[in-house]
Amino acid sequence: MDSLVSRYSRPAYEENEVAFRDEEQQDLELMGAAPPLSLKFAMPPIAQPSSWLRAATDDRSNPDCPIKIAHGTTTLAFRFQGGIIVATDSRATAGNWIASQTVKKVIEINSVLLGTMAGGAADCQYWLAWLGMQCRLHELRHKRRISVAAASKILANLVYNYKGMGLSMGTMCAGVTKEEGPALYYVDSDGTRLAGNLFCVGSGQTFAYGVLDAEYRYDLSDEEAVELGRRSILAATHRDAYSGGFINLYHVKEAGWVKLGFEDTNPIFWKTKLEKGEFTNVTADLN
Amino acid sequence: MFMARSEYDRGINTFSPEGRLFQVEYSLEAIKLGSTAIGVATSEGVILGVEKRVTSTLLETSSVEKIVEIDRHIGCAMSGLQADARSMVEHARVESQSHAFNYAEPLRVESATQAICDLALRFGEGADGEETVMSRPFGVALLIAGYDEDGPQLYHAEPSGTFYRYDAKAIGSGSEGAQAELQNEYHKSLTIEDAETLVLKTLKQVMEEKLDSKNVQLASVTKGKGFRIYTDEEMAVVVERLPAN
Repeated sequence: MDSLVSRYSRPAYEENEVAFRDEEQQDLELMGAAPPLSLKFAMPPIAQPSSWLRAATDDRSNPDCPIKIAHGTTTLAFRFQGGIIVATDSRATAGNWIASQTVKKVIEINSVLLGTMAGGAADCQYWLAWLGMQCRLHELRHKRRISVAAASKILANLVYNYKGMGLSMGTMCAGVTKEEGPALYYVDSDGTRLAGNLFCVGSGQTFAYGVLDAEYRYDLSDEEAVELGRRSILAATHRDAYSGGFINLYHVKEAGWVKLGFEDTNPIFWKTKLEKGEFTNVTADLN
Repeated sequence: MFMARSEYDRGINTFSPEGRLFQVEYSLEAIKLGSTAIGVATSEGVILGVEKRVTSTLLETSSVEKIVEIDRHIGCAMSGLQADARSMVEHARVESQSHAFNYAEPLRVESATQAICDLALRFGEGADGEETVMSRPFGVALLIAGYDEDGPQLYHAEPSGTFYRYDAKAIGSGSEGAQAELQNEYHKSLTIEDAETLVLKTLKQVMEEKLDSKNVQLASVTKGKGFRIYTDEEMAVVVERLPAN
């Protein structure tokens, strides 16, 4: 009896770690519940791979950690009457080093669904591409587009299977379908999945929320919505050292997404300051 | 036809003394009971056509599905046991998607056909460590049409696991007559419209029912539009174009 209790009271990831050593058992367990493709990752040969990984990569608790994962970001998406606006910055940082200024953080899952990248770039890129494959198979099997709810659920279920094993992703799935209208879901590597009107994710999220919350209305016109997305990212790139580079803007409609631009923040900042009189904090005048 | 085949037609992977695998040969017979399916490859694209065998006036003809999509650039028509084709098509779809996922390029038509044929021989008891999925051979043949870097292609895949590329091929109950007709009519300079007409004209000759726009189905694979099943309106236009009789 005690052995039964201890077996079922172990955390889920430990169960999996045991299973990963036994290939046959792994097949049995994973093939049933989880999607059958791409799930044969080997685990490092140590007792607690997940805590070891955390110790080696968490630069917040240990600034000298040996592996610095690229994860400073600002991403946002919001629903409005004309669809969904998705906007991101384009900076990748590893510790306090800027690794790239031209990262594409909006991931085109397919011609109608978008995902955003925050957290581990590789995790987001890989699993959203994988999600694109699952969506296509759903489409072939059922002869209709997958709903955004279902697509985001596939991803949430997948990452939950790897809970505690070191995945790092905070993503938003955006799409517009006839049945759902504009649909927006937040999915992160803890397995959390939330539907909502607006989300900002990443180290610059608070700055973006500040602008977005103040100006957001569902009945925004298309032009107003695009400008609000751009302005929110601009605010985040201005105050968050881990966000910057270019503003990547997308508008999602029922027929699919439209890419609106990949624009350098610098000219946009000076245009916003000089033509609109905003950012008056940036000045040499000390009156 | 198959009289006194002794004991050797029971075991599905036992050769007879003459070197035959009877169950595999019988599976080819199952296809000859199936409805006729025809494929014609032209330089512009491939046309697939099937007869639907509407067995009852109460049957919803749109639910008879004998041409299916494998991916944007590959489709297939089937003849024989429909249910067996489901698992082959599912296998090909997953293969095509995982190829695109792993290599960021579309699966070639020949590779898709090869993948389906790999599945065809996984019956019987299986060798040690090799997974078997079926107790018997498939009872269905496929015409696989696709477009890749080598242009439009048509393949015929059999339950025996062999496949060949064809310019034009007919399978199913009317295949003998239809193949002879294709042999006479096919030439390299056929256009897509010519191929549509040729497929329907050939089907018309071998079908027991009178051909109309409800009991046949066409599909095409072209460079620009990929795989496409014809709508009711498009079917009506092609049927209209057929010469009387």
